[in-house]
Amino acid sequence: MKVTNLTSCLKKTLLFGFLMFTSMVTQAKGLSLYTPNTRISAPPGASIDYTIDIINESSVVRNENLSVTGLPSTWTYTLQSGSYHIDRIAVLPGEKKSLKLKVEVPFQVNKGIQTFYVNAINTTSLPLSINVTERGAAESELSTTQNNMQGDNSATLTYKATLRNRTAEQQHYSLRGDVPRGWNLTFKADFKAVTSVELEPNSTKELTIELKPSATTAPGVYTIPVKALTGATAAALDLEAVVTGSYAGQLTTPDGRVSTSARAGREKELDLVLRNTGTSTLHNLELRSNLPSNWELRFEPEQQDSLQAGETAHVKAYLKPHKNAIPGDYVTSLELRNPEINTKVSYRVTIKTPALWGWLGVLLILGALGGLVLMFRKYGRR
Amino acid sequence: MNTIKIPLPSSRPALGAGPFGAMIQKEMADHLRSWRFLLLLGLLVLTCLGSMYAALSSFSSLPPSELAKMEFFFLKLFSISDGSLPSYAIFIGFLGPLLGIALGFDAINSEHNNGTLSRLLSQPIYRDYVLHAKFLAALAISAILLFSLTIVVSGWGLLALGIPPGADEVLRILMFTLLTIAYISLWINLAILFSIVFRQTSASALGSLSVWLFFSVFFNMLIDVVAKHLAPKQFLSEAQAVAFQNFVLNLLRFNPIHLFNEATNIVLMPSVRSTGALTMEQISGTLPGALPVGQSLLMIGPQLTGLFASTIVLFALGYFLFMRREVRSR
Repeated sequence: MKVTNLTSCLKKTLLFGFLMFTSMVTQAKGLSLYTPNTRISAPPGASIDYTIDIINESSVVRNENLSVTGLPSTWTYTLQSGSYHIDRIAVLPGEKKSLKLKVEVPFQVNKGIQTFYVNAINTTSLPLSINVTERGAAESELSTTQNNMQGDNSATLTYKATLRNRTAEQQHYSLRGDVPRGWNLTFKADFKAVTSVELEPNSTKELTIELKPSATTAPGVYTIPVKALTGATAAALDLEAVVTGSYAGQLTTPDGRVSTSARAGREKELDLVLRNTGTSTLHNLELRSNLPSNWELRFEPEQQDSLQAGETAHVKAYLKPHKNAIPGDYVTSLELRNPEINTKVSYRVTIKTPALWGWLGVLLILGALGGLVLMFRKYGRR
Repeated sequence: MNTIKIPLPSSRPALGAGPFGAMIQKEMADHLRSWRFLLLLGLLVLTCLGSMYAALSSFSSLPPSELAKMEFFFLKLFSISDGSLPSYAIFIGFLGPLLGIALGFDAINSEHNNGTLSRLLSQPIYRDYVLHAKFLAALAISAILLFSLTIVVSGWGLLALGIPPGADEVLRILMFTLLTIAYISLWINLAILFSIVFRQTSASALGSLSVWLFFSVFFNMLIDVVAKHLAPKQFLSEAQAVAFQNFVLNLLRFNPIHLFNEATNIVLMPSVRSTGALTMEQISGTLPGALPVGQSLLMIGPQLTGLFASTIVLFALGYFLFMRREVRSR
């Protein structure tokens, strides 16, 4: 059997190799120590339970002192028989006793193989090794597999993060993030919004971090530092939010009223306001209209070359209803469009007929009355 | 020399004072005491009751959800019916001419036949006072009658519905009443004209009634026949169809009854936006909705002008004939 990775305990290599060659059961003067799992892989902070058999193969009762050697001082162990802590055990001839050995791997430990010995003093020794699978640290850890998310300023960016308590104590983490003003950051644990979580030693918690950029966020890459803090430890994570530009526009009037009255056949001036409500510049904005038949509408200017985010532009529209339009309400539809946006507004136009014909009628009646008065004069016999 | 002052009427006496006022009051009193008037009053009150019953029962037959959506609720009192009886507007449109004829058909010839006309004219009054007083008294009577009926209908409607009319509705109801009075005055003038033309009261009554019958029944039939003959036999474009329809409508508008009905419809139904036929082009993009009072009034301008002008012409004709007539005592 080839032994590798014994960098931390080089001086024990020879002895260990020798022992491995002899047998898994260490035997000396009729006393053996036996356990099946002689090399165990474990992460930092793990606790490993061994069951060690001590076998008396001699013909006399053996009363032996027990010890565990080779463990660094940060590692702890307990040796138990039944429910007692012991350091000496007696075994009848031809019988065996079971011992329980519990080894606690510390949190702060280097990666590698740690070998130690269970000794029946002066008689025999059982070499055991623990393969520490990773480097441990006595701290907390906040990590994510995907820390870069993209979305526009109306999207919610959702990150998955894992908070790990690597300390020996239970920790109460308060969760914080540094977001630009107007942004919204929510931590969720088990689908509930939280601001703090409590973690047992050496346990993990899945956190969902929801990030909502503000509506006016300019396009760009934003780094959002997120922290889990306790009095003793802290873990930090940098989230990256890639905010893309959004395109939105609005077509309205200066006072927000989208109704007017007009006379049939006469041109009416309308004030329109184009507003860029997105975060990107809008280019080549065109105005279109959908009108009752034979109505005319022209815009001044016809086209808006570019409109910066958050800016407004004023446009005059000249509406000419058809001369045969009947009085009452008509609906016209105005549209603001470019390849990115398409927004419509319904404009209600109340048509009023010219009072000209009404006055003509009044004039006719007055003429008739005038004729009557002339008649009174002529035939009145006064 | 002593001069005796003879009190001559001032050239412009105030209404209700002086001989002219006395004549109007006398004429009105004559009307009010006549059996004829009482009969007409009874007829009109029955009309009012019947049409109100029809309107209210049509309201109660509608589900509340429909009622809640209804616009110009109060105005509908005058124009709605459950089908068992005509609505108030139609009744008044029908009986109005009858009232006008009844108030005017014997205005002059009965005085003439009784020999009172020459006696009247021997009084120190102008001759045209007689005609003016006859017309104004009849007009006043019909105005009082119609306003009372309108108020009764409105009051009853208020009591039955519990919904007050809006300002727009009040204006429209007022317009409707004035329109009806103007319409009745047309028939009063027609009847007075016939009473001047015919010596016999029965002849003038029959003459007026036959004109009324002609316009209410036969005129439209005549136009129908004419329209059928004139109608293009070939396939019509939409514009042609509308133009022809409007041509026929214009022929119909020589009928004062048709003019009155059109005007009534526009006044009582704010959602009506045109009196004539419309092309699809004119309809496209329209939204259903009520017109303001002013716009409705503008729309019926031609109808009102026609009604008023023909009233004035009839009066002028009667005046001309009456003033030129030789009046002798028997």
